[in-house]
Amino acid sequence: MQKYKHIIYTVLLINIVLVSTHEGEFWPFSIFPMFSQAGIPWSRGVVENVQDTTRADLWDSKPITAIDNRILPLEKHGIHSIDYANYISKTKDWNTKKINGLRSTFGIDNHPGQMWMATRVVGSINEQDSVVIQAIPMFLFTADSTYKNPRLFSE
Amino acid sequence: MDRLFHNLFNFEAPESAGTKIQLRAFELFTVVYTLIYTWEWAFYVPRLSNVVLPLGLANYINVEFFFGEWATVNAIIITLCCIIPFLFKRLRWLYALAFILFHLQYVVRFSQGEIPHSANLVGFSLMGLALAGLFIRDIKKSLPFAFGFTLFYIGLGYTSAGISKLVATGVTWVDGHHLWLWIGEKGIDILSLTGSFELNWLQELALSSRFIATLILTFGLVTELSGLLIWWKRWRPYITVFLIGMHIGIDLTMNIFFKTFTIQLIIMGFPWNKLMNKLRNSVYFSRLKPLKHILLY
Repeated sequence: MQKYKHIIYTVLLINIVLVSTHEGEFWPFSIFPMFSQAGIPWSRGVVENVQDTTRADLWDSKPITAIDNRILPLEKHGIHSIDYANYISKTKDWNTKKINGLRSTFGIDNHPGQMWMATRVVGSINEQDSVVIQAIPMFLFTADSTYKNPRLFSE
Repeated sequence: MDRLFHNLFNFEAPESAGTKIQLRAFELFTVVYTLIYTWEWAFYVPRLSNVVLPLGLANYINVEFFFGEWATVNAIIITLCCIIPFLFKRLRWLYALAFILFHLQYVVRFSQGEIPHSANLVGFSLMGLALAGLFIRDIKKSLPFAFGFTLFYIGLGYTSAGISKLVATGVTWVDGHHLWLWIGEKGIDILSLTGSFELNWLQELALSSRFIATLILTFGLVTELSGLLIWWKRWRPYITVFLIGMHIGIDLTMNIFFKTFTIQLIIMGFPWNKLMNKLRNSVYFSRLKPLKHILLY
């Protein structure tokens, strides 16, 4: 039993050192911080399957309910939805490499005729204590072109 | 402290068939889920091109080297390092090599900004087997050690998850508004994944009343904070039931099911060894005797 104690104490010490010097994560050691910060606005992502690019609200931010009947199911296209959500919600500098990275994730070159809008989705609680979820169009991908939202990107 | 260690590592009737079955079931679970995760990640890694967020050893070595076929080579080595000690009950130090390579496989796969925790308990189980393989050679002692080591980290993990919530948000973490916000967030993840999302009965109930949503979060927080109770045999089955209930609640409200955690809790949290020892004279049990040398130790 003495040996067991030494192992437990030593591993516990290593655990404390590693998580305290690596922002709480050194797998499998962790402080398990999931959902620890409550009430803060969040940001995720969906892909809108666009049918008509001439409609007036194409580039407008809008409630998610305005597009939730035409969301592309990412599982059917072999795209990892959580990786996509992290990519579109955490990228700050949308340079050419980042945009092309997103485009290649979709593999839209293999889907001629399709138009997919990479859309950020943000959620928060408003002053009336209601959850508000807004969809923000970012990039429209077609088989041969990429269009940026002119209201978000100047060029 | 001695009493705690006794609760973690000592089994009643350690030589009984029931105890051996429960311990080998724990080892089998660890091997199976290590291999499931290892290969799942190996198949995904070739899609990756750059490290967005370095985790673990990826802070010190460039794991982009693994992008491509090396993740598959790594998976083959991990498979051998798990299968050999499990089946032949020797060379158990191979679990230590499997653990290090499993860590690498994790940090390679999750270099894209997401930090999932679904495989952490399997990681602790493999670490327990690895430490036992290195320092406690006799399988009769090494398996109870690995089992107790894993229970120690299961309890610590849940309680630290609860403490993290209190530190990051405070007691107001249980405010039902927060659950409303998470239901919306996870609903978007499901919408993105499948193309559609509909609220289930518990989500509708939680969204209908801030008080009910607050009650649900309070249950979750109290259960997590009580995780340490799993260290004591007397409390283990009860806290296990509450933890499984919490996971079912997380699944229903936030669409995240910790399947591996739940299976592991079922295997480790109940005194199956006692139940099996009571059944050992039954007809069904005696039929298993020819397999005893292969399955047990």
